[in-house]
Amino acid sequence: MTEIRWHSRAGQGAVTGAKSLGDVVATTGKEVQAFALYGSAKRGAALRAYNRIDDEQILNHAKFMNPDFVLVIDPALAFTDNITEHEAEHTKYIITTHLSKEELLAGIPALAGKEERVYIVDCVQISLDTIGRSIPNAPMLGAFVKISGMFELDYFLDNMKRVLAKFPQKIIDGNMNAITRAYNEVK
Amino acid sequence: MQDLRLLAQAKRGQRGLENKSGLVGWDEVTQGTVLPSFEGDATNIANLKSEERAYSNFNSYTATVASWRVKKPVFNRDICIDCQNCWVWCPDSSILSRDKQMLGIDYDHCKGCEVCVEVCPTNPKSLLMFGEYTELEEALAQWPEKKKKEK
Amino acid sequence: MAEKFDLQEREVWDGNYAASQALRQAQVDVVAAYPITPSTPIVENYGSYVANGYIDGEFVMVESEHAAMSGCVGASAAGGRVATATSSQGFALMTEVLYQASGMRLPIVLTVVNRALASPLNVRGDHSDMYLGRDSGWIQLDAFNAQEAYDMTLCAFKIGENHSVRLPVMVHQDGFITSHTAQNVYPLPDEVAYNFVGDFQPLDDMLDFSRPVTYGAQTEEDWHFEHKARQHKAIIDSRAVIEEVFAEFEKLSGRKYKRVESYMMEDAEVAIVALGTTVETAIVAARELREEGIKAGIVAPRCFRPFPYDAIREALENTKSVAVLDRSSPGGAMGALFNEVSAALYTTANRPLVTNFIYGLGGRDFSVAEAKRILKEQKAHAEAGHITTDIQQFSGLRGPKLGFFQTKRG
Repeated sequence: MTEIRWHSRAGQGAVTGAKSLGDVVATTGKEVQAFALYGSAKRGAALRAYNRIDDEQILNHAKFMNPDFVLVIDPALAFTDNITEHEAEHTKYIITTHLSKEELLAGIPALAGKEERVYIVDCVQISLDTIGRSIPNAPMLGAFVKISGMFELDYFLDNMKRVLAKFPQKIIDGNMNAITRAYNEVK
Repeated sequence: MQDLRLLAQAKRGQRGLENKSGLVGWDEVTQGTVLPSFEGDATNIANLKSEERAYSNFNSYTATVASWRVKKPVFNRDICIDCQNCWVWCPDSSILSRDKQMLGIDYDHCKGCEVCVEVCPTNPKSLLMFGEYTELEEALAQWPEKKKKEK
Repeated sequence: MAEKFDLQEREVWDGNYAASQALRQAQVDVVAAYPITPSTPIVENYGSYVANGYIDGEFVMVESEHAAMSGCVGASAAGGRVATATSSQGFALMTEVLYQASGMRLPIVLTVVNRALASPLNVRGDHSDMYLGRDSGWIQLDAFNAQEAYDMTLCAFKIGENHSVRLPVMVHQDGFITSHTAQNVYPLPDEVAYNFVGDFQPLDDMLDFSRPVTYGAQTEEDWHFEHKARQHKAIIDSRAVIEEVFAEFEKLSGRKYKRVESYMMEDAEVAIVALGTTVETAIVAARELREEGIKAGIVAPRCFRPFPYDAIREALENTKSVAVLDRSSPGGAMGALFNEVSAALYTTANRPLVTNFIYGLGGRDFSVAEAKRILKEQKAHAEAGHITTDIQQFSGLRGPKLGFFQTKRG
């Protein structure tokens, strides 16, 4: 079982990102779960989305998890939200930021001693460059594909095209570029 | 310029809605989910200005949603005609105005919806959206010129 | 003819989408609906299927949930296949008309996305609305995940519309935890699903001009009781039809459903009885405890109404201690599920110890660890030979320990 927690703000696409990831993962024959907790939250409110991935049907419906991956797609939440909550000893963090890794780590005491498990990528800038808007979910998927090693990039891109099929070609191309760039730039 | 004294009151926006510390148990929550708006006797509260009122911790005045914003409205005193349009339209009562004079934005409660900018009638507008981390002076320095009417 | 909808063999759907697809495949004649969180997407999706030509039926927008169910009653009495969706306050507003629908024996399908009832206002999932409907004369089927929300909705039409049943059916799923959680769902092809549900067979329809009928007659003490008794017998007797429909569905889908689902109960000494997504979370807990040597199992009514006294008794009679979990505030009583399970077990020779947990109100998270703790507590009761805690306790509640009633029955 792989468990993933997304830290995001409503409107940044974490729910769509989690569901898209679920969609693509399901095509590999695995069982997936993608959910988020929101309701009365307005655009901009902090929210968390979750994925579970397993070979068998996923029965655990609890929000509680010890995530294998924590994906932070809002730069400020890395500092203000409790991103290390219920972490495991192997939890990997992928954080969107325009800062260097050293600058980022200096501002987040909770990540001290976990430098090897922290990866950075500027999803906001990548999405502005490729999609034209600050929708950092797609680049985060590219970074996740790289760090998790769960898929080959081309396989993921092909399946993501199917998930996005209802959108105009321009948006599909933008997302493909965003995923590819983040895959190459995450470090 | 914005009235910085009004913008920096002690109790305004002291709590973040995302902060979950201080959650009490079933034995300490209020009966009937009834939430008092003020601390102590509020008999004369209507005659007090907001900065003089003893708002309770249940009052949204003491909570902030500033972190929800991606962009913020910036107010330019030099252009404003004090028409009060923004004050009327703001859905979150985040336009600070006294004696029909516009004072500035309550950034603790503004969610950056941009309605105030939309309804501002001056040319150029007296309210414009800037990135959340833009300093006031920097924003004012970038203010556009008056647009000429097309003939 | 309706347009063909493109479906994959394996989809990733949330519970709302799954329910709306089942409604589409059943080719409902009339949906009268008033959307409310968290069931809104069922109605939204259905509206888009109608607008895009995937359904030949009518979508009626109304001004309230009371009007929504009233519209459904009218359309069903007229002789059509009818369905709608609601949650929480909307369900509460429908309640008056729910009794009209069941009393008139109208086979309406209501997909209920369970949510807490105000006050305090809360949009998240608990079973308050499901429990509010428990005496309304509707059959109530409970789905524990998105796949089952789809499966149960298809089964609901076939059960309710059966002429020996002719009763309205609710299909329940947990708000957000099922309704907004995407999981793998394996839908049936459109024609297979439709053929399973079958063409609607009208009975006593008002649009049959060769046989005009009156609906909504008044009865007083000379008639009312007999009509209600006949209605009650119909819902109790629907058990056989429910089993037939589940058996037929298994042949098509390979997915087996029972009026009471049992997991690892063959040799279980301790058990949890629950409804909704909690059932599956508790299964994970029971599996883990079995690795520690505790013989734990899970029992779950698939069918909340008619309440399966018979099958509950069979599933639990050899256990030593049972925790019954109610996700609704009982308002000065033991939880309703506890009462009904206890009543069923009282007639067994073994009479296991039974305790009640109120949990998960307003969407409070229920974890695997908490399910394990509850099962371990049952093990302690079993070893002591009596209930070692309060009979009614609260699980996951903040504040000092809260519990009521004690017994030393050994």
